[in-house]
Amino acid sequence: MSSPRTAQRLNRILAMLPWVIANPGATVGEVCARFGYERRELAGDLDLVFVCGLPGYGPGDLMVAYIDDEQVVVEMADYFAQPVRLTAPEALTLLASGMAVQSSGQAPPALERAVAKLQQVVIPDGTEALVVDLSEPVLVGELRRAASDGIVMRVTYTGLASGETTERDIEAWSVFSTLGNWYVRGHCRRADGERVFRIDRIRAADATGARFDPPAEVPPPVVRYMPGEEDVRAVIKLSARARWVADYYPVDVVEETADGGTVVRFSAGDPAVAARLLLRLGPDAELVAGAEVEAALIDLRGRILGHYAG
Amino acid sequence: MIGSSALLAKSFPWRLGASTLRAMHNVVERILNLLAFLLTAGRPVTADEIRMTVSGYDQNSDAAWRRMFERDKDLLRQLGIPLELHPTDAWEVEHGYVVPADAYALPDPGLTDEERAALWLAAKVVHIGGQASGPEALFKLGGSSLTVAGEPLAANLGHERDELADAFTAVVERHLVQFSYRDKLRRVAPYGLVHRRGHWYMVGAEHEDEQIKVYRMDRADGFEIIGTANAFERPEGFRASDAIPSAPWEAGGDDMVARVAFSSEIAWWARRQLTRDTAIVEFDDGGFEAELRVANPEAFIGWIISFEDGAEVIDPPELRERFVARVRGVA
Repeated sequence: MSSPRTAQRLNRILAMLPWVIANPGATVGEVCARFGYERRELAGDLDLVFVCGLPGYGPGDLMVAYIDDEQVVVEMADYFAQPVRLTAPEALTLLASGMAVQSSGQAPPALERAVAKLQQVVIPDGTEALVVDLSEPVLVGELRRAASDGIVMRVTYTGLASGETTERDIEAWSVFSTLGNWYVRGHCRRADGERVFRIDRIRAADATGARFDPPAEVPPPVVRYMPGEEDVRAVIKLSARARWVADYYPVDVVEETADGGTVVRFSAGDPAVAARLLLRLGPDAELVAGAEVEAALIDLRGRILGHYAG
Repeated sequence: MIGSSALLAKSFPWRLGASTLRAMHNVVERILNLLAFLLTAGRPVTADEIRMTVSGYDQNSDAAWRRMFERDKDLLRQLGIPLELHPTDAWEVEHGYVVPADAYALPDPGLTDEERAALWLAAKVVHIGGQASGPEALFKLGGSSLTVAGEPLAANLGHERDELADAFTAVVERHLVQFSYRDKLRRVAPYGLVHRRGHWYMVGAEHEDEQIKVYRMDRADGFEIIGTANAFERPEGFRASDAIPSAPWEAGGDDMVARVAFSSEIAWWARRQLTRDTAIVEFDDGGFEAELRVANPEAFIGWIISFEDGAEVIDPPELRERFVARVRGVA
């Protein structure tokens, strides 16, 4: 394999040339800004282009590329007058990203137009074939505004694992969606630390009137679960049908079994998380080790079956 | 990623980086020459002809040339450049390389600078499989000089990007795909791809079958594209979103109406997950009963368990029994 840097460099050259050809008189500043070049890099790429061309490789065969009085000049390169088509990952990522923002109701009209135009060239016979729907639950908009305006919010939050309800003042830094759930990340004044809250578990959110300075840099939109000292651990055997669990829960795969299943090590802040998962999976999961999880499972089973005793 | 070579050059004494840079220059020059030749040849050109004609290949031994040419072909594909092998004449004795101009070029979507910037911002805040998109795609569309600030939304659409890209290729180019789903090997004409509520779904029809089905991508094992492009036609007026239900338990082959009682403690949370048109009877204590359409009992049972003892399946009896059996651990 050639290095990724080589591919990136070629990609940029093959994108820059068509644009300069289509926009004669483009300035160095314009080309640099548009394609993320530093002046020296652009000059280097133009020098390279200057020594390439068609067999014969004489003056009449090579491309012409240079900087003339702050203008970028490219000639004799008509075969590179059009940019390279998008790869499938590129087209998918661009379209899906645009549609995700659109579906959240945050899209400016320019994005609506861009997505429609891109769909036309990528998938002209099926503009309804790709759909990205990131519908927003209640409170997402309010929390997003609180994050951008630096407004401290008082939230009523019910913990997912514990079921315990608390009131907290939070400084929301960012609102994001991952794997189908919406989260708000920020500083929790009650816990005096960084916390991530699932927004559908926030029952109410009201402005406190206090303000805060948003941090300069916000962490990426992922929920990183860090197993702590206090966490409960369990070993669970998953059947082949339940392999997807590894994508949605923080597990370490211990072993792949001959029948296509996996043995995973599961850790969670509360054994109830593992107990609910085990019940859901039924015959597709088996608790191999983990006394606390087993106790939680027995308790959960008993409480649910209490409704059905009659 | 942008300007990484400049960064590298800055952080090392220039003499150290010189040989690496020279090697990169050589590859870039050779690829530009190769591509220029292929785009203008107007006919299939054999590997031998490329070796004799294109600058950069001449001075190598047979083995070194083959390695170099294989690497270069990989690089072209990585850039999205279609490289095809066609017979050089009617007798099909020899084959040569072709870069078809129409498949090479990106049709101009006619984006304005404002539209490019909007697209760029969207691509930066949305990740697929944890990866944000690089600048490559936007460069192809003409780059963007508008620096975009602010982060109105951040989202991770999950799933491994390469497999999703294969699925997307199959949808766009209309290839059949094959994968194992619920322990059965399926061959599917993929009409569309949908992301909803954290999952990617493929919408399509199994061969010979007119009925449109929905498959969750993360449950599809051994996913692969089979056969040639244009293997099927999308049904007239197809809309992928119509095929995807609003809740996971509404997608499936069964069809029943379930009555569920939700207790007052979790009522607020349960309500948020129900669609607006759900029929509800409220209790005096704040709890409520809802009527729900269930097409996938498995998904439904899993969802009810998330409420622990806050939800009770009242009707129908067979669903209630199935739920109890699941909780008891006997099914």
